[in-house]
Amino acid sequence: MTTPQGSTAGTDAFGASVAALGIPGLDEGKDQLETTFANAFETKGLLTADMTGPAGLRRARQHQTAIAGILAILAGIGIWQATALFMNPIFISTPSLVAPALWDLLVSGPLPADFLRSLLEMVGGVFFATIVGVGIGLLMGRIRILERALEPLVAFGNATPSIALLPVMEVWFGFGETARVAFIMTIAVWPLIVNTHAGVRAVRGRLADVGTTFGMSHWQQIRHVYLPGTLPYIFVGARISLAVGAVGMILGGQEIGGSGLGGLVTVLGARSETASLVAAILTTTVLALFLFWALRQLQARVFPWIAATSAGRRESR
Amino acid sequence: MSSDMTVTATGSGPRSSTAATPTGHETILNIENVCKTFFTTRRTVHALDRVSLDVRRGEFISLVGVSGCGKTTLLRILDGLDDCDSGTITLDGVKLDGVSHDMSYVFQDINLLPWRNVLDNVALGLEVRGVPKAERRARAMEALELVDLASVAKVPPYTLSGGMQQRVGVARALAIRPKVLLMDEPFGQLDNFTREALQVEVANLWEKLGTTIVFVTHDVDEAIFLSDRIGLFQPGPGRLTEVLDVDLPRPRTSYDVRAHHRAIGLRALITEHLRGAKAPTG
Repeated sequence: MTTPQGSTAGTDAFGASVAALGIPGLDEGKDQLETTFANAFETKGLLTADMTGPAGLRRARQHQTAIAGILAILAGIGIWQATALFMNPIFISTPSLVAPALWDLLVSGPLPADFLRSLLEMVGGVFFATIVGVGIGLLMGRIRILERALEPLVAFGNATPSIALLPVMEVWFGFGETARVAFIMTIAVWPLIVNTHAGVRAVRGRLADVGTTFGMSHWQQIRHVYLPGTLPYIFVGARISLAVGAVGMILGGQEIGGSGLGGLVTVLGARSETASLVAAILTTTVLALFLFWALRQLQARVFPWIAATSAGRRESR
Repeated sequence: MSSDMTVTATGSGPRSSTAATPTGHETILNIENVCKTFFTTRRTVHALDRVSLDVRRGEFISLVGVSGCGKTTLLRILDGLDDCDSGTITLDGVKLDGVSHDMSYVFQDINLLPWRNVLDNVALGLEVRGVPKAERRARAMEALELVDLASVAKVPPYTLSGGMQQRVGVARALAIRPKVLLMDEPFGQLDNFTREALQVEVANLWEKLGTTIVFVTHDVDEAIFLSDRIGLFQPGPGRLTEVLDVDLPRPRTSYDVRAHHRAIGLRALITEHLRGAKAPTG
């Protein structure tokens, strides 16, 4: 391929398509346009050395976004600290109190153990929810009678307020981690069923024809068409499951046996140790953010094609 | 109808299923009295009403009609993607039941699998048939060379332009070396320039390979440019009402289709026929 300085797969393919169509000059035109943009930036002194050229322009834009985000966070922390001037720190504490409290919880407190416990329960719950949810969703999509039978049941389960199931989990599984994992699974499974089912239906109208025209068997269809074709939807479901699963993780920790980050938050709240409480809450946020990040990494690295599908495009910014 | 019209209507209605027609053409695909009705919750749609057609070996035949006249339904039934309610389809004398391994389908919305690269998409049909990996790679590569896309074999399909994607779609269909290639408005989603380029490419491929092609379109000029014969569909209920010969020399250019007097007469005839079919009711 004769693409000048094509640095990503996208530009390579663009170059390839231009080359294949035999249109000279189009590629140069594109570069020219981007150089013009870059020059416009340069005159305002916004660019560093590595931000020139087509790739540099993108980097400059990312750079701007990052700076804006960091400034907003710093401003938030500043305002929070300033509240100490007119508000009792018992209510929302201050960054200067929370930071040492977090340090104490981390070094000599229960935070690392609780974090790990909650993380494992969360991962376990969402993992089982994925297995069950994807399985049920696929079966519903492929077997018409199951679809008819299960659709009202799924709507029913999806509509049940999750907290109402907590006592049921205690009755079934006692007050240990089994009950907490089961609780997370029970509330995280619905988005996966619903989205997997929607994915199979989308594949049914389009990609499934490809399998049919080549004479694929039932299992070949599932393996080569339905399962991969449904993956973008499964990831959408998994993201929602992580969000509701995080609520289930804290709720389960608070209500079932008082353990993990949920238990820690309850205890610290009861003692009115606001600085430590806020530190613990921020830790739960970090845990959830970490899981979202891990899921996004999994998608981007193992299934990069998902971002090019319509379901994948809806999800990403 | 003007007297110098060199277009001949070969009639319609049920035909004998003998392998050779009186004119000496050998039939490859025999379609006999095919009916199809769709039942939706709102209404009943008579998509196809007793459609009969003999497709000749090696010919390029287009099915033309307004939207909803049943031409795509017929193509899907030929491929086994849908079932017909009654009627028979025989390919080389063998009655078809379900999907045939000797026909392949080019989709309007292309439907490449985004998780496979271009080469593995083209090799899909061979993979399903259990062709060993090395051989199917080689044959898929051959098919890609036919559409001049060997250079993007390892690229994900979604990075290609629409026109290139549809060329991959054609290669995927050709890789299994079908006796009959079914093409369902394959260029419907492409811009004008790309569509014209691909029309030329398909015409060249057809001359080179000699594969029988059944081509569905609602673009009259496209049908005239590509076809040996054109079947005209009328909607409500969907019927094949006329089969016209396209008596234009080959190879053709898009200029022929715009300016050749026979093409002009043919276009007028088809347009008139389709205009009479405007109001699909019941």
